[in-house]
Amino acid sequence: MKVLEIKNVHKIYNSSEVKVHAVNGVSLDFEKGEFAAIVGPSGSGKTTLLNMIGGLDTPTSGEIMVDHINLAGLKSSALIDFRMRNIGFVFQSYNLIPVLTAKENVEFIMSLQKWDKKERDQRTLELLKAVGLEDRINSRPSKLSGGQQQRVAVARALASKPKFVLADEPTANLDSKSTETLLDIMEELNREEGITFIFSTHDARVVKKARRVITVEDGQVISDERKN
Amino acid sequence: MIWKTAWKNVWRNKVRSLVVIISITIGIFGGIFGVAVMNGAIAQRVDAALNEEISHIHINDPAFRDNYDIQLLIHNHEQVLTTILETPGVNSVSSRTLITGMANTATKSAGVQIIGIDPEKEKEVMRLNETTIPGTGDFFETASRHNLAYIGEALAKELNIIRYRIDEAVLDSLAAQELPVEVLDKLVPFSGKRFTSEKAFKNEVKGVLSMKEQREYGALIKEEAWSFRTRSKMTLTFLDSEQMQTGAVFRIAGIFDIKNSIFEMGQVLVKNEDLSILTGLAANDYHQMIVRLDDVESTEEVTAALSGKFPGMEVMNWKEIQPDLAMMTDMVQKMYAIFMVIILAALAFGIVNTMLMVVLERTKELGMLTAIGMNKKRVFRMIMLESIFLSMVGGVAGMIVSKILIGLTATRGINFASYAEGFEAMGFAAHIYPSISTSFFITVTVLIIITGVLSSIYPALKALKLDPSEALRTE
Ligand SMILES: Nc1ncnc2c1ncn2[C@@H]1O[C@H](COP(=O)(O)OP(=O)(O)OP(=O)(O)O)[C@@H](O)[C@H]1O
Ligand SMILES: [Mg+2]
Repeated sequence: MKVLEIKNVHKIYNSSEVKVHAVNGVSLDFEKGEFAAIVGPSGSGKTTLLNMIGGLDTPTSGEIMVDHINLAGLKSSALIDFRMRNIGFVFQSYNLIPVLTAKENVEFIMSLQKWDKKERDQRTLELLKAVGLEDRINSRPSKLSGGQQQRVAVARALASKPKFVLADEPTANLDSKSTETLLDIMEELNREEGITFIFSTHDARVVKKARRVITVEDGQVISDERKN
Repeated sequence: MIWKTAWKNVWRNKVRSLVVIISITIGIFGGIFGVAVMNGAIAQRVDAALNEEISHIHINDPAFRDNYDIQLLIHNHEQVLTTILETPGVNSVSSRTLITGMANTATKSAGVQIIGIDPEKEKEVMRLNETTIPGTGDFFETASRHNLAYIGEALAKELNIIRYRIDEAVLDSLAAQELPVEVLDKLVPFSGKRFTSEKAFKNEVKGVLSMKEQREYGALIKEEAWSFRTRSKMTLTFLDSEQMQTGAVFRIAGIFDIKNSIFEMGQVLVKNEDLSILTGLAANDYHQMIVRLDDVESTEEVTAALSGKFPGMEVMNWKEIQPDLAMMTDMVQKMYAIFMVIILAALAFGIVNTMLMVVLERTKELGMLTAIGMNKKRVFRMIMLESIFLSMVGGVAGMIVSKILIGLTATRGINFASYAEGFEAMGFAAHIYPSISTSFFITVTVLIIITGVLSSIYPALKALKLDPSEALRTE
């Protein structure tokens, strides 16, 4: 079952005098349950591509279909709502809400979705347990290590059971030990919950864990390999 | 969750939030307290004017106030009196004879209005009897075979109804103020001696003290040694009903102190029975009736009713007699408004400025929130809530501080003693009891909330303009 189809997507930045062709005709399909890495040198267009997939940015041309829904057809408020229900995000610099505890950060989207309090608590606890932070549920981000914060971010991204999770260089700020833990957790959640993960990275160890590796250069896909 | 997050966000930068909150608190407190002090001063002023100076309503011949013609009497006084007393809202009435004349003592004289009254009736309408300076006598209570006059402090000083005396009490009080023993010793010999003129007293003091001692302690000694002369004599002269110059000696029954030097200077109250013998008017001839109402609020109503009943007479209420009192109340209302507008504007700028900073600082976080699905309505609401919380905390703190301080000072009052002279010259008491109405408090609360809400709109709109992909790229 396809959760995501990218059809001949281009992104051209026109901001200054120079025209930047950040994404140059990318077509990709993703099945449910994939664990895919997007790799490529700096400036190759990884972030731009992920932002367009996540509906944070709009393609100059081409189509992005999430669960057969064309993102271009959604108005900005509907798009935000769509993101909330269907896409989980993990950012390079964790981006947790600093005034909220780990538990509250994970709960946040569920509360926006008006989940029932009991279900919410149950899911939050389940996720924090899955990322190995059940003993830190009441800690604020400033009291957690980078690795722990990123694990909270993963738990948050999964909270509302999205169709897929996008992670732009999730391990870039982590040491190798934390990177390994995070990847293991992501992989386990991917297997258990069947959630699709798409992440960009520079890190060879991260690439090794991926079951599909998409290489981009100058805004174009130059290889797309699946491992078993 | 949004409420909780907004509330927690307020305390994110504790120092900045506290600075904003404290400045709002101080602003609100300053505004409310300032208004309370003004309000208290005005209320006291109006109260004093009504109780001690003019009462609520005056009734007299329409031409009487032009030149206080002694012949312009109230006709059918008994009947008029009954009619007034029957009017709803009227509390009491006092009838007065008003004569323009001169008050003279051996050394000084002053132009005054001599007011003939029945002390018992007058006490029902005015509260002047309650303002007698202790030790100076009373309001015609002590019987006397002499003519009696009740005069103000300022007039008593002007007429030099003062004596100087150094007695035990004065020496004790001087000692307490650290007058050197050798100076005290020099003063002891003329203990008990009285001086009726300042000059005589000064000469005596000069005789015993050295130049240096005089320079250093002269003023203090004088200040301690003077007091009002009781039962002192003064002559009142005026024209009688036949336009003949007449006059008589009056003794001072008592001296009143009403914090309004103009009234203190200009009025001499005497018993009508003493005055009528001199003027040649009948005992029940009066020029003016003054009326006290049960409630000041009914002033206009009762004035209209009385005007209707006495078409041939002038019926004037306190607002017409002293337009400045009414105007003052009016003007102060406008001043409150200006005051509050300034404070609320400062509040608004504070909030807008702080919240813009907040939005700018949190660009990335707000971008992240939009990315993960927090819609514009919610982002807007969160920033609004933060600003409102911030202004509310400051507002509430300001209100509480004001309430407490007004509560504390309302009963004890604030003494502006160092400005006493200036205040009294304007007719204001130097001891002010701040007061504020509950309705003003509620109005201010509502205004703070409205200001808080309005000033949140701009920063919250700014937050909506953020593009999540851009916001997330900013490191
Ligand atoms: N807002 C923008 N305006 C103009 N050019 C942009 C903008 N955002 C990105 N670019 C350009 O688009 C190209 C692709 O950038 P992108 O951030 O997608 O690369 P990336 O592969 O994520 O790089 P990195 O590995 O360093 O994160 C770059 O040349 C970048 O300078
Ligand atoms: Mg990037």
